[in-house]
Amino acid sequence: MAACLFTRRNFLSRVGWLAAFGTFGGLTAASGRYLFPNVLYEPPAEFKIAPPEEYPEGVTFVSAKRIFVIRQQNLIRVVSGVCTHIGCTVRWSEERNRFECPCHGSFFDENGAVTAGPAGKPLPWYGVSVAADGRLIVDEHKIVPFRQALTV
Amino acid sequence: MAVNTIRNALFENRFWKSAVRGVPPVSKWLRDKIFGLGLINLSLFIILNVTGILLMFYYVPYTDKAYNVIKDFQFAVSFGAVFRNMHRWSAYAMIVFVFLHMSRVFYMAEYREPREFNWVIGWVLFLCTLVGALTGYLLPWDQKAYWGMTIMSNVMASVPVIGEKLKFVVLGGDEIGQSALTRAYDIHVKVMPLIMGFLIAVHVIRGRTDDLLASPQMRGDAAGSAWSDIIKRELAKFFLILIIIMGASILFGAPLEEEANPSVTPVPAKAPWFFLGLQELLSWGTPFWGAIVVPNAVLLFAFLVPYIERGKTGSGVWFHPSRRLQNILFTALVTVAIGLIIIGAFFRGPGWRFYWPWQPWPLH
Repeated sequence: MAACLFTRRNFLSRVGWLAAFGTFGGLTAASGRYLFPNVLYEPPAEFKIAPPEEYPEGVTFVSAKRIFVIRQQNLIRVVSGVCTHIGCTVRWSEERNRFECPCHGSFFDENGAVTAGPAGKPLPWYGVSVAADGRLIVDEHKIVPFRQALTV
Repeated sequence: MAVNTIRNALFENRFWKSAVRGVPPVSKWLRDKIFGLGLINLSLFIILNVTGILLMFYYVPYTDKAYNVIKDFQFAVSFGAVFRNMHRWSAYAMIVFVFLHMSRVFYMAEYREPREFNWVIGWVLFLCTLVGALTGYLLPWDQKAYWGMTIMSNVMASVPVIGEKLKFVVLGGDEIGQSALTRAYDIHVKVMPLIMGFLIAVHVIRGRTDDLLASPQMRGDAAGSAWSDIIKRELAKFFLILIIIMGASILFGAPLEEEANPSVTPVPAKAPWFFLGLQELLSWGTPFWGAIVVPNAVLLFAFLVPYIERGKTGSGVWFHPSRRLQNILFTALVTVAIGLIIIGAFFRGPGWRFYWPWQPWPLH
């Protein structure tokens, strides 16, 4: 009989420990993964807003979506209203021609670029298109440069 | 904590008196007073648990119902407002008293061997207190709660590499909604009380054994009627604290704003007061430095203090002269931390600009 690597006791003991640690490790990893949801019941990142003709010249805040729709004659752009510093909703100041964050005093010019305050990134411009029913579609996953506007 | 009172009650000649001899005390009255701060914290923890359980009989963690329940506490549930106020005020008091307890231990250099590990447990308890207070802050689902949590979640997101994942797992999604409320509730009513209850037990028992290790001569005369005396003293203190908290809760209502509204940021949006120092720090630069590097450096230092500072003299008395440097450093740190909170709370208006407390804010 060939030399035995394990005695039976030894082998069973190892299998036992392996099973114990495997189970424990597996459950730990599983509970870690468990905490990250796969399905989110959140509002979609791509959504419809009103048709373009309902937005007047200038800056309009769409409060339900925290975005600004900006119309310059026949050009339409959509910019995020969420401050890139810490997530407060910025407001448009007509007289100073800039977006102002009420939390930490970050300012963004009309192109979304940071002009003052602790914010590190500019306000992102979202891709916007027109749906078949004539309403605007905003896609928050699609970040576009400022010069890319929708012509209506 | 209980240990301190036991020490007071049992040992007329406090064990460190011999070490103190020959050193001119800063003040005869203060010299080695310990104020039973730990017991105050334990009492507050008990009050928090009891009132918390009472609140849970009505509260539901649903974004569309939570706020109404809080309104019911104010107007419809008998004594609901009192219990809610007691819960809120004891939580705030606990933050303050845990901090005072920690400061007391530092100024008396009682974190040294063999108490290093208990100091670390104490710090973990301090952090747990803050996490408990923060998760509780979200539950009323009012404007303060929603925007306070917005600020805190984005602070987490600014952690390098894992930040976004961290925010995602804490909120249970990309934005503050039902999942975030459910998780905050779970952490608030179960995770934190469990961990803290366990750690407090370890903290108290270790405190006692560490006392014995530090001074073997303490052993011996714990027999006889002393025990019931201690119980009476501790119980009397507990009732005093209970009376104060109840009195405060009848007189002062806990804050509650309008229901959470993601599209309207209050001006200015402020974090919970105990994190206002962090927010003030954040307004000076990117979250990476203000929220991550500076606080974590302070935290790490706090944890390691008993392992770094290896002095032998000056334990057991306030402001021992041989510890001038340590005390000055600690006082400076504490002053900055409290100063930041005060600036954030009273000197910041719209746009986080500087305003004197009596200066009116411009209306938009």
